[in-house]
Amino acid sequence: MNPPEQQPFDERQAFSSPTAEDLELVAGVLRKDRKATAEFVARYADGLYCYMRSRLAPRYEQVDDLVQEVFLTAWQSLCQYRGTGSLQAWVTGIARHKVEDYYRERLRAPESIEDADLGPGASTSVPEIHQLLEHDQLRKNTQRVLAALPEQYRLALIWRYWDRASAREMALKTGKTEKAMERLLARARAEFRERWNHGQSS
Amino acid sequence: MASLPDEKFMERIADAVELSELEQMPTRLKARLYSALVLRQAETGPLMSLTETSVRGHELCVFEQLVQVAPLGERAKSLNICRVCHARVLAEHMENAPIYWNGCPYVEFKKP
Repeated sequence: MNPPEQQPFDERQAFSSPTAEDLELVAGVLRKDRKATAEFVARYADGLYCYMRSRLAPRYEQVDDLVQEVFLTAWQSLCQYRGTGSLQAWVTGIARHKVEDYYRERLRAPESIEDADLGPGASTSVPEIHQLLEHDQLRKNTQRVLAALPEQYRLALIWRYWDRASAREMALKTGKTEKAMERLLARARAEFRERWNHGQSS
Repeated sequence: MASLPDEKFMERIADAVELSELEQMPTRLKARLYSALVLRQAETGPLMSLTETSVRGHELCVFEQLVQVAPLGERAKSLNICRVCHARVLAEHMENAPIYWNGCPYVEFKKP
C-alpha cells in the first residue's frame, strides 16, 4: 500500500479521467479485498478530512462523522462508479453532497442572529490585499474572519463563494425563498467585510 | 479592494484563498474508518479469502499468514480476523499506536 504524497484536495480533478489504478482499486474493494479497502482509506482519508475541516471550521466536532459517512456511502455506491471521471472526483462529489446536506440542515433553522445594520462596508483604510498581504496571511485572515462569523453567515458564504452554489440553488435546498437567501448572503458579506476591515485596522 | 462592493470583495477573496489545508487525518480515525468499512463488508458476506489476497500479491501480516497457512477451509480464511487482533484495538484508540507488523493496514496508516 503506497498512499500518494499528500496534496491539497483539488476539486477541479472532477474533470480528470480515471486511471487504471482507480479501476483496479474499485474492483478490489468490490471484491472485498481487505488490502484494497485499506488502500482506499489511505488514499482519500487525508484529502477528505482537510476538505471537511475547511468547510465546517471552526466547528470540527462533526468532521469525523461526516468523513465516515462519506466513506460508507462511497462503499455502498461503489458498484455504480462507471469510471467516467477519476475516483477522487467521484469521492469528492459524495463529500460535497454531504457538506451540502449539513449546510442545508443548518441553514434551514431559523436565524438566531440579529440583523446586522451595516452599510456597504467600504473602508478607506483597507489596502489592496495583494499589495500588502502575503498569500498565507490572506488565508489566515480569511479563516480567522470566517471562524468568527455566526454559523449561518459562515456556511452561507462558504457554500456560495467557495463551493460556487448560486443563491437560487441554496434557496431551493434550504426551503427558503431566493429573496431570503439573498438577504442572508448580503448580511453575511457585510459582516465578513466589517470584521475583515476591523482586523486590518487593529 | 476598498471601493469594491461586498459581492465583488467576497468573490476576490474566494478566488485568492483556497480554504483546504494540508492536514493529515489522525491515524486512529483512519483505523476506525477502515474497521467500519471492513465490518460493513463482512456483514454482507465473506471477505476475499486470505489465500486469494496473497495470490493477488498483497502482503499479509503475521497473524493473517498464520491463518492463511493453517489447515482451515477458505471460509475461515475469509473472516474479518482483524476484529480479534490487538493491533486494531490499539490503532483505534491511540495515535501512532506502537504496532509494527509488516502488512498490517493499521501500521500502514501511520506512514506519512
